[in-house]
Formats: sequence, C-alpha cells, structure tokens
Amino acid sequence: MSIWRRIAIFLSIMGPGIITANIDNDASGITTYSVAGARFEYALLWTLIPTTVALIVIQEMVARMAAVTGKGLSDLIRENYGVRSTFYMMTVLFIANFGTTVADFAGWAASMEILGFSKYFMVPLGALFIWFLVVKGSYRFVERILLIACLLYFGYVFSGFMAKPQWSRVVYSTFVPQIQWNAEFIMLSIAIIGTTITPWMQFYLQSSIAEKGITKEEYKASRLDVFIGCSITDIVSFFIIVTCATTLFPLGMRINEASEAALALKPLAGNYAFLIFAVCLANASLLGAIIVPLATSYYICEALGWERGVNKTFRDAPQFMWIYTFMIVIAVIVILIPDAPLVFLMVLSSVLNGMLLPFVLIYALSLVNNKKIMGEYVNPKFYNVISWGTIGAITALAVFFVITILIPLGA
Amino acid sequence: MPFFGELFVSDLLKKPVLDPKGEELGKVRDIVMIKGEPFPKVSALIIEKKKKLFNLPWNDLNIFNKRIISAQIYSDVLRHYDYSETDLLIVRDIFDKQIVDANGAKVVRVNDVKLEGFDSAAILVAVDVGMRGIMRRLGVERGGEDMMRLFKKHLPYNLISWNYIQPLEPKLTKISLTVPRQMVSELHPADLAEIISQVSHKEGASFFKGLDVETAAEALSELQPDVQAAIITGMDTDSAADIIEEMPPDEAADVLSDLPVDKAKEILEHIEKDEAEDIQELLSHEEDTAGGLMTNQFIAYRPEILVKDAIEKFRRDAEEVEAVYYLYVTDTDEKIMGVISLRDLLLAPLDVRLSDIMKTKLKIVSPETDEIEVAEIVSKYNLVAIPVVDSEGYMLGIVTIDDIVDRILPPLAKRKRRKV
Repeated sequence: MSIWRRIAIFLSIMGPGIITANIDNDASGITTYSVAGARFEYALLWTLIPTTVALIVIQEMVARMAAVTGKGLSDLIRENYGVRSTFYMMTVLFIANFGTTVADFAGWAASMEILGFSKYFMVPLGALFIWFLVVKGSYRFVERILLIACLLYFGYVFSGFMAKPQWSRVVYSTFVPQIQWNAEFIMLSIAIIGTTITPWMQFYLQSSIAEKGITKEEYKASRLDVFIGCSITDIVSFFIIVTCATTLFPLGMRINEASEAALALKPLAGNYAFLIFAVCLANASLLGAIIVPLATSYYICEALGWERGVNKTFRDAPQFMWIYTFMIVIAVIVILIPDAPLVFLMVLSSVLNGMLLPFVLIYALSLVNNKKIMGEYVNPKFYNVISWGTIGAITALAVFFVITILIPLGA
Repeated sequence: MPFFGELFVSDLLKKPVLDPKGEELGKVRDIVMIKGEPFPKVSALIIEKKKKLFNLPWNDLNIFNKRIISAQIYSDVLRHYDYSETDLLIVRDIFDKQIVDANGAKVVRVNDVKLEGFDSAAILVAVDVGMRGIMRRLGVERGGEDMMRLFKKHLPYNLISWNYIQPLEPKLTKISLTVPRQMVSELHPADLAEIISQVSHKEGASFFKGLDVETAAEALSELQPDVQAAIITGMDTDSAADIIEEMPPDEAADVLSDLPVDKAKEILEHIEKDEAEDIQELLSHEEDTAGGLMTNQFIAYRPEILVKDAIEKFRRDAEEVEAVYYLYVTDTDEKIMGVISLRDLLLAPLDVRLSDIMKTKLKIVSPETDEIEVAEIVSKYNLVAIPVVDSEGYMLGIVTIDDIVDRILPPLAKRKRRKV
C-alpha cells in the first residue's frame, strides 16, 4: 500500500478520536489548567504524562469495542448487564452531564461577556447554532465543523510561546515529578485527571466510531486517530498551564475561572494573548455544549434501544433529537436565570462524574475482555495488566476526588 | 402441568422454587424455550442453588404463577445445567436485545417477556417494550403507576405480539420484526384486538382511548363479547357512543346486547336517531338467528329504475354500506322482488330497467332461521350475502358471509378466553 493511500484511508477514518479528546478540554478543563498554572507554576506539568497514557489506554479499548461490535458502550452494557445497572448509570450520567452542559454554556457566556457581548443575546444564539448543526446536519458535516473547531485549540500553543517561558524549567518540570504535600496541590492534580478522563467521553467516542461505521479492518487507522487526539489534547493542556504559569504565577494572582485568566492576561501579555484565551474558551465551551448533550442523547437512546444518530431526522429518531434539544434548552434557561445555583450544579456534576468513572471503566474493561463479544480482539494479557493498573489508579483518585469535594481538605 | 393465566418473566426471576415438602430447590435464573406452534413454549426452568445451576423440566412443575412456583420432585433428582449455545434462554437471549423493524430501524429494546397459559403449556406471547417493562424490571411498576395516576395518566402497556417477531436464531444480537416500525403503531384492527385481548380490561379501555374512532370501532368489533362489554362499560358514555355509532349496525347491536340494559339505553340515547333505530330493531332478534346476525344496511332500488341511473345512485349509496355485492329490488312497500349481483349490474346494457335483469328466484331466510342453517344455505348456493325477509315478504336486512364465518370460525381474539 502506498503511503498516499494510507494517508487517504486515515483521513477518512479520523475524526471521532481527535474530536472526543479535544473536547475534553472544555470549559471546566481549561479552568482547571489555568488555575493549576497560575497557582503552582510548572509544578503540575508532569501529571499530564501519566494522564495522557491513561487516556490513550482507555480510549483505545473503547475505540476497539466500537469497531468490532459496531455498537455503543451503553448498548453493550444494557445487553450484558441488564436493566438495573444500566438504568441507574444512565440516570446519574444524565444529571452529571447536564451539569457539564451548564458549565460549558457558562464558559461560553463568560467568554462572550469579556469580549464585550451580552450573554442574553449570545447564549441563545450559540444554543440555536449548535442545535441547528446537529438537528439539521449530517454526521459528515458535523464532524467537519468539529474538526475545524478543534484547530482553534492551537491558539493556546501560540499563547504559550508568546508568554516566553523559561523552557529549561518547563522541560524539567514536565519530566521530573514533584509533589507538594498540601491539599490544594493534590486536589488540583486529581482534578486534572478527572477533567481529562470523563465518563461521557467513553460513550461518545464509542458511539461516534460506531455511527461512522468503522470496521475491524479499518481499526488500525482509528487507533491512530485516538492516539493523535489524546496527544493533542494534552499538548493543548500543557500550553494552557505554561501560559498561565509564566504570566500569572510570578504576580501571585489567584484565579478561579478561565475567563479571569483571559482578563488577567490582558495587561500582562497583551491584547493578543487575551483574545486567544477568550476566543479559545468560547470555542471550547461551544464544542463542549455540542458534544456533551449529544453524548447524553446517544447513550440514553442506546440503553433504551431507540434509533439515534446525527444522520437521523426528528421523524426517524425523535427521542434522540428531543433529549438533545431538551438539554440545550434547559441549560440555556439555567444560565440566563440570575442567581441560578451554577456552582452547586457544577460541583454536583463533578462529584457524580467522579463516582461513575470507576464503574464505567470497569464495565468497559470487562466487556473488552469478553470473548463472546470481542472474539479475537480481546485485550492481550500484558495490556490487561496496564489497563487494570490504570483503572485501579484512576478509581483510587476518583474516590479521593469525591471525598475531597464533599469534605474540603482544610481549604 | 396445567398453567392458567399470564405473567411476566421478570416477576418470576429470583423467585424460590419449592419441592413438595416446601423446601427450596433453588431460585429461578432463566427459562428455556423450545419451538412450538404457534408460539415458543417453556420447556424448563433453570434454577440456581448455592451457585450451581439445575434444570427443572416444565413437566415436573406443580404450581406455576407469580406468587408460588413448586415442583413435584425433590432436589436429589435434579439434573445439573450447563449453559449451551443452542438453547434459547429468555433472560440470556431475549431480554435487553435490540428490536429492529423490517427496514432495519431500531425500534426499542425488549424490557420484559410475557408468558401465557395455552393448553397445558406456557407460551411466549409477547415482548414488553414499554416503560412499564423497565419499571417492572426495576421492581417499581406499582410505584410508577401510582405516580402516573397523580397526573391523571395511565401507564401504557407496550407489547409487541410474538407474531411480528421473526424466528429467533441462536447467538442472536438483535431481534427483528416482520413489519416496518410505522406498522407497529398502525396495526390492523384485528391485530390490535389481539393485543387488547391480552391486556386486562381496564387497560384495554385506556388503550382504546388512544385510538381514533374509526380504528377503535373496527378493533372493538373483533373482540370477544365479554371484553367488548367490559371495555365499553369502562368508557364514558359519549366516547362509547361515538365508537358504537361508527360500527355497522349489526355489530353495534352485538356489542350493546352484551351490556347491562341501562348502559345500552344510555348509549343509544347518545347516538343519532336513525342509527339508533336501526340498532334497536336488530336488538329485538335472538343472537344466534338470522335476525341476530343480519345488518339492516343494504342497497335496494325500485324495479323501474334504469341501469345507468342505478349505477349512478349506487356510487353514492355504496359508501355508507358495508356489504355491496348485491343490489336488491323492492317495491313501494319494501317487499322484496328480486336481486341483481354487482357483476350483472355492471355488465347489463345501460338503458334497460332493473326489473329486466333482476333474478326473481331468491334464496331468502326468515329472521328466526338458526345461524347454522343460514350458513348452510349461503354455503350451498355460494352466496356472499343472503336477504332476511319476514313472513309478509318485507325485507329486514341481509346476513353477510363474513358474519357467518366469524360465527363458525371465531378469530383468535374472540375465541381465546382470558384466563386469570
């Protein structure tokens, strides 16, 4: 096979992995990285490497399941573990994802406000745009738009270079782990993993690969897609941390929001850095606001067995379209109501996500090892050691994360 | 082992199975089905005790209902069971599977499976695909129903009859319907009737409210009399009257005749006067006679009418009338003179009178004629309908062949009595 042919095949397969991994850096992800950089400078950079490895290990298994079975993750969970576990999982995920959707719209609203637009105008407008995109668009079209939007993330890479960090210290912190024994440091490092590996993305990735109709034979290209996606997402995270660490940390600025980071950058790094941060936040938020409700509609419809897919119409897949519409509309309303309990919703959402993650991963791992489902594509032995290790570590951190949120550590 | 009634598989799972002394043999884990006509039937229960699986054949069961399951045998004769790919198991192979329609569209998942007694077997009659099935699996069906009642809504039964499901193969990953999805909601009234006869009366009534009047009327006439009566009684008079009015008078009369007299009167008062009179007239005959079977909607014209005018008139009148294969010729007193088949009418020259082409050697029955005798005459002379004429020659109505077939060979929904 010529190299061009291989590239052509890859280009036709790529999409789901890159999109899923990138959208991982949604509003709450960007916030976490910005806060991490501003608070602890480069000290947390090393956590990105194990996070990337864990992300790749997990996403690869999920992608493999999609290519081999042609089914979504909740399809498989429902068929193999019955109504009860599926139902409770879906209910919790729905609430958690609703919180995430609200967080993404909040990020969109905040970025629009700092760019000088009224959120009362821009939030409904953004919602309308993403609603039209999915309801009226085809899968190919939606995927193209999302891929283009993913390119915008490279803005963070530019801003990282513009900040002129001390590269020697950056490289050192990236490869030499360091731990500071204080509550905030530990919480933030867990939060980085928690915001990078989420339950919904496993469902979304598997569904979108299945909907794209990727087969076992094309799986190799799909694996590359996942690999590239996971790498890009953490490169982007890396530069967000670097930017905030270089500009905000020396001044001892404490920030709590991604939009605050953008504002703080304005006097320090100039208008361009501000614009990049604001526009990228807007872009990431909007992307998240498309994908999270979409992922939710996917897995609910899969679990209950209804027709679904971006390619379908309201007539063909009414439940799918209505769940998507419903989530967006309610999220917009919540954002626009003054004094809505946004913080509570987002904390609730991350607690629920943290609690669910171990279950989702354990289900995924036991499904991928089921010979009846996967045939010869089950995990090789050594791979199982890695994946169980990863999942064990993530589970421990997730439990810890939930505990620290529920019982704040001296903070 | 005789089994009466109907039950959902999820109600059985994890239920203890007792031996004749009341000791527990194990808990129900799964149910093995084998091919049967017309539906698959239960061949054994798979029970679990102390992490071991046993096979309990259907014939060794003594009592089988959702409260008690007991066997005639003791634990020492139970045989071990190992999962086999060739067995068809309800929980393993049918539960939670995707149902796709004939066009490959995903319709819904199997939430539960319904069994029903038939002869001495338990047969798989339908799969539950609704919220009710999910709630039952979660053990909150009752709670869900109570909650819906708060909103004055009824939790619907969404069952798909096994008729529409393609034969299952081992190791299946999805279950296919034989019909496109749209058709599940646009089932033929006779099929709807079959489904309705499988749910309880109260639910049947609420099911009916969801149908348009025309479909409801057709479906109602396909049901067995006691179900019809129960459903109509469960509805408010206005909507009942709407449905009755839509039915052909003979079938309306059949339904009303099974109702309590007061209710029937009440409904008749809500029906348009002409229609009500027709029905009342039919109600005066014994059910199993020609009078009870007949309908008083038929087409009758005067003998002096020209064929071309008759065809013109016929085009207008036939819309309202159920049986149009014969055109009857009556005189001014409505006494019958002759009959013309639709075929003869259409083949006749346009400018002759009906009296020129009508057949005067009529086969007729009196209103008191027994239904079997009517059937014999219709069969002997290969008729599609036969006029019912009183002793003075007045034409009262006609008995059509479909009514006779229904009497001799009742459809499944009418024949099968609900066993609870």
